[in-house]
Amino acid sequence: MPMSAVDEDSKLDRREAAQVLRRAARMLRPYKRDVVGAGVLVTISTLAVLAGPFLLKVGIDRGITGGNEAVLDLAVAAFVVVAVIAYVASRVQILMISRSGEGFLRDLRNRVFDHLLRLSMPFYDREKAGVVVSRMTSDVDSLQELIQQGLLQMLASILLIVGSVIVLGIVCWQLLLVCLIPVPFVVVASIKFQRDSNEAYLTVRDRIGLTLSSLQEGISGVRVIQAYGREDVEIGRFESRNNSLYRAHMKSVFVQAWYLPVIEGAAVGCTALVVALGGKMVVDGTATVGTVAFFVLTLSNLFEPLQQLSQLFNTVQSSGAALQKLFELLDTPVELEERPDAVPLPDHGELRVEGLTFSYGSGPPVLTDVDLVLPIGEKLALVGPTGAGKSTLAKLMARLYDPTAGRVTFGGIDLRDAELTSLRTQITVVPQEGYLFHGTIRDNVRIGRPDATDEEVEAALESLGLLVRFSSQADGLDTEVHERGSSLSAGERQLVSLARAALADPAVLVLDEATSSLDPGTEVLVERALERLVQGRTVIVIAHRLSTAERSDRVGVVADGRLAELGTHAELVGRGGRYAQLYDSWVHGLAASG
Amino acid sequence: MSDGWRLIRQQLGTQRWGIAFGAVVALAWTAAKVSVPALVALAIDEGIEPKDEAQIMHYARLIALAGVFVATFTGLRRYSAFREARKTEAVLRDRLFAHLQRLHFAFHDGQQTGQLMSRANNDLQQIQNAVVLVPLTIANLATVAAVVVILARVDPVLTVLALGSLPAVNVLARKFATKLQPTMAAVQQESAELSAVVEETVAGIRVVKGFAAEGTQTARLSAEADDLYEVSMEAAKIRSVYWPALEVIPSIGLIMVLAYGGHQVINGQLALGDLVAFNAYVVLLVWPLRMLGWIVAMSQRAAASAQRVHEILATEPLVVDPPHPRVLPAAGGDVRFDAVTFHYLGNSHLVLDGFDLHIAAGESVALVGATASGKSTAAKLISRFYDVTAGAVLLDGIDVRELALGQLRSAVGLVFEETFLFSDTIAANIAFADADASIDDIERAAKLAGAHQFITELSHGYDTEIGERGFSLSGGQRQRIAIARAILADPRVLILDDATSAVDPTKEHEIRDALGEVMRDRTTVVIAHRPATIALAERVVLIGDGRVVADGTHEGLLRTSEEYREVLASAAADEEQARHAALEGSEGVVAP
Repeated sequence: MPMSAVDEDSKLDRREAAQVLRRAARMLRPYKRDVVGAGVLVTISTLAVLAGPFLLKVGIDRGITGGNEAVLDLAVAAFVVVAVIAYVASRVQILMISRSGEGFLRDLRNRVFDHLLRLSMPFYDREKAGVVVSRMTSDVDSLQELIQQGLLQMLASILLIVGSVIVLGIVCWQLLLVCLIPVPFVVVASIKFQRDSNEAYLTVRDRIGLTLSSLQEGISGVRVIQAYGREDVEIGRFESRNNSLYRAHMKSVFVQAWYLPVIEGAAVGCTALVVALGGKMVVDGTATVGTVAFFVLTLSNLFEPLQQLSQLFNTVQSSGAALQKLFELLDTPVELEERPDAVPLPDHGELRVEGLTFSYGSGPPVLTDVDLVLPIGEKLALVGPTGAGKSTLAKLMARLYDPTAGRVTFGGIDLRDAELTSLRTQITVVPQEGYLFHGTIRDNVRIGRPDATDEEVEAALESLGLLVRFSSQADGLDTEVHERGSSLSAGERQLVSLARAALADPAVLVLDEATSSLDPGTEVLVERALERLVQGRTVIVIAHRLSTAERSDRVGVVADGRLAELGTHAELVGRGGRYAQLYDSWVHGLAASG
Repeated sequence: MSDGWRLIRQQLGTQRWGIAFGAVVALAWTAAKVSVPALVALAIDEGIEPKDEAQIMHYARLIALAGVFVATFTGLRRYSAFREARKTEAVLRDRLFAHLQRLHFAFHDGQQTGQLMSRANNDLQQIQNAVVLVPLTIANLATVAAVVVILARVDPVLTVLALGSLPAVNVLARKFATKLQPTMAAVQQESAELSAVVEETVAGIRVVKGFAAEGTQTARLSAEADDLYEVSMEAAKIRSVYWPALEVIPSIGLIMVLAYGGHQVINGQLALGDLVAFNAYVVLLVWPLRMLGWIVAMSQRAAASAQRVHEILATEPLVVDPPHPRVLPAAGGDVRFDAVTFHYLGNSHLVLDGFDLHIAAGESVALVGATASGKSTAAKLISRFYDVTAGAVLLDGIDVRELALGQLRSAVGLVFEETFLFSDTIAANIAFADADASIDDIERAAKLAGAHQFITELSHGYDTEIGERGFSLSGGQRQRIAIARAILADPRVLILDDATSAVDPTKEHEIRDALGEVMRDRTTVVIAHRPATIALAERVVLIGDGRVVADGTHEGLLRTSEEYREVLASAAADEEQARHAALEGSEGVVAP
């Protein structure tokens, strides 16, 4: 049963396959010695496999039939030598092919991941996270499968078939021709098998997915199901899904059940032909008994590899498709790259937005002609309805995207001319939800500045008044997060995220305020930490709460892709525009909810 | 393990005819396969060597006939072996699912979905892998026996020399499987760790980019890639030890045949055809012996898997229909908690302790209390999701334990705090209680739950697919669909457990009006924090430390109970949320 399959539309054509192969070969260069060595050894061990029956033939014809015991003993000795060579060769070749194959995979993983991290936000907006992850997981895994199980077997099978045909031809070409009679049938059957089994496997894969998701729903929704007394209905539904998976499995087994008889039948059929024709040739004196025996024994070297090849074909195809996708990813251009003559940003400066227009890809503009100046240390709140462009504006001010027209400058320098590292340390975005990586609290804070010492990490926490809070965790700052039982609450995650920003110590902070409320205990801590964090920095906050807007120096209302209003809270309320309306509806809404 | 073996044995017992058929066709295949070398030997000895063409043709025809049998039975053999194995897998999966559906809440509270999934997936897969080998093993054992007998009759000494090294194939194959398995598990583990780094980096890409932490992440990935390389090479080393050995051992037999057998032929002790046959038989035995080695390793793993499956199947559902259920009166809705004491399994803390409460038919009651005061638990006891530790819960005067579960649960509708929707259309989700409900009923329920408007604004309306792979709704929208689902079920007792917590307050206003209609003439229990929602109920019951602390109207309790005021005050977080929602506009739509 082939464990991999390939969708019809991702199969490679001949030209693509050649390109993928060439590129893979280039990546294999550092492993040239192992690759060449493995190739040589595979050839040697294949020859050894072929030599077995041949030595038997020599032993029978020259030794036994001729009554020459010395020749017989020589053949036996040669057989021993061949067995030893085969053993050593196949042992070393497995190591060599694994070393080069696994090394190749390691390089590929590193290169793809490096490239993924160089790609900028627009790429991540376009691509689904699941698809991006699957490049690094299922695509690389299908290559791993080929390397661990298939590659060696494929090479050996091909060599064995070619070698058998040559040797059989040399020994007795007439008998070889007879053996080749069923080959066209076997080849046609193999091609059909390869297609059918691929198709059957794709169906199996789909049905497995359906069955598992139905299983998952049945388990996680069991309370609702029981509450409505729907157990029997759900069981019936699951059974029909499960049954359709069973039928898909049987379909796939059926494909093998007709293919195997073709191969095995052909092999025995050939034996019959060899006995009939070979026997007649012995009678005629044009062949020896040893030749017939040799043919009978070598036939299995002809048909078994053929069968293995047809099973491997799907693995090879899906690996090719996977490699193609990985190379495509490596070829994806990096949109936000550092210019060769980039300069570091100054420590302080005015943040200035000039004539800024932006659209995602070729879509309609999300922001049109926005002008804005933030003096050093100003706190600006951006408000407005979802989708009006306030987050986009904030992201452009941190160069997570490049503007379509206009520019953003800090201290007079266009952000596109700045060194990326200096840009990220001077202008830092703190996302809405405190995202934690696997590791300790300390590791997570250190994301803010990877070269920070332990003391600096602690100082950053202390500056926000959080050191005591996190030191009191089970293992202090070395407490593992993301592990069951010791994960942090949403509020605590926020705190870690703020500490990261404190460690990075940027001149400009872009904050995306949390939309969901936190547990009351940590809510206060977050507020307090934020107050400390923003001190002395220029701050742009995407505000979801009115209290935040009230506290800011100025409020910008973003609506329909423009900066519709800009001023202090009091000014804007007095002006009676959009902001005043929002303010009214807030007061009204609070009253309505009692 | 022994229970695991018993589970497999039991299941295979029900499939005994299928398994027997599999074994018979496998034996037939073996017989046909074994006959080929014997026929070749005869052809050489009686046809080719004596140069008798008639005999040669006779045997060639017999070999061709054997080929037809080999071909027929190889297909049947594989098909029947897999049919039985897949059947075992499917039947056990059905049983597991059905059993899980009937197991009590307390069981599910203590389980992780992933673990249960792995029982129904990976463990059954392991069992399947072993079952495939059952008929094949029977046939393989027969093959080995048949070959030994045939050869021993020809030449016992040569038989020992030819086959003597082959048991090593069996032993090595078994060792190989047992050694490789933990290493392959380690490869999977490392590979999972690497994937975890990729996943969290992609999910947290904004943080990584925001702090220029690319270097940190690439270093982590590179370390994982190194680990994966190391452990994969470990596996390669094991393969490099066993594979070549497995390949070379049969050669020892072949060499022996040629060395000893060759001299025997020269000395006239052995026919040449038999020598060739010996060779063929040695080759023939290699695969059956390898498989016999595997099945030992595989059946041990399968038994361990079956043991885990058995543990679930052996768990008795605690909440089941009584043997002689009583029947509810035609109408009603009177709920009574009579000195109820309750604690969860494996935790002796009493969640309810002497809980007494009477809710008259048609009355609406708000249960209010601090977190973990026991209000949700009390609500779940009405539906008998758990059985009380002491005391009784009565519906219309009948202990809920004396009612058929089906009748009880269609009489009591509960909307959970955490909304669960199925991957299906919105209409099907609302019509969950009654798949035959008309679209009018569905729309009426949706209107009452304040869901009709946003549903009709979706491009496919009520036919919109939701859930895991479908359209994603906001928390408030999901809750409103869950409420519609409960309304459609038309229960005599409706329980809303914090069911509007994610609904934006400006919208909740609309739902509240509609809920008033739903609650008319229906016993309703509301668990809520927002004063406006509490005010929906005619009566408020304050719960603290597992018992009723105060009982009255909202206004009355505000005046008289300090504790009530405190509980309401701590719901301040909700108001903060309300402010943000107003500023954002309601659920993403800007306020006018």
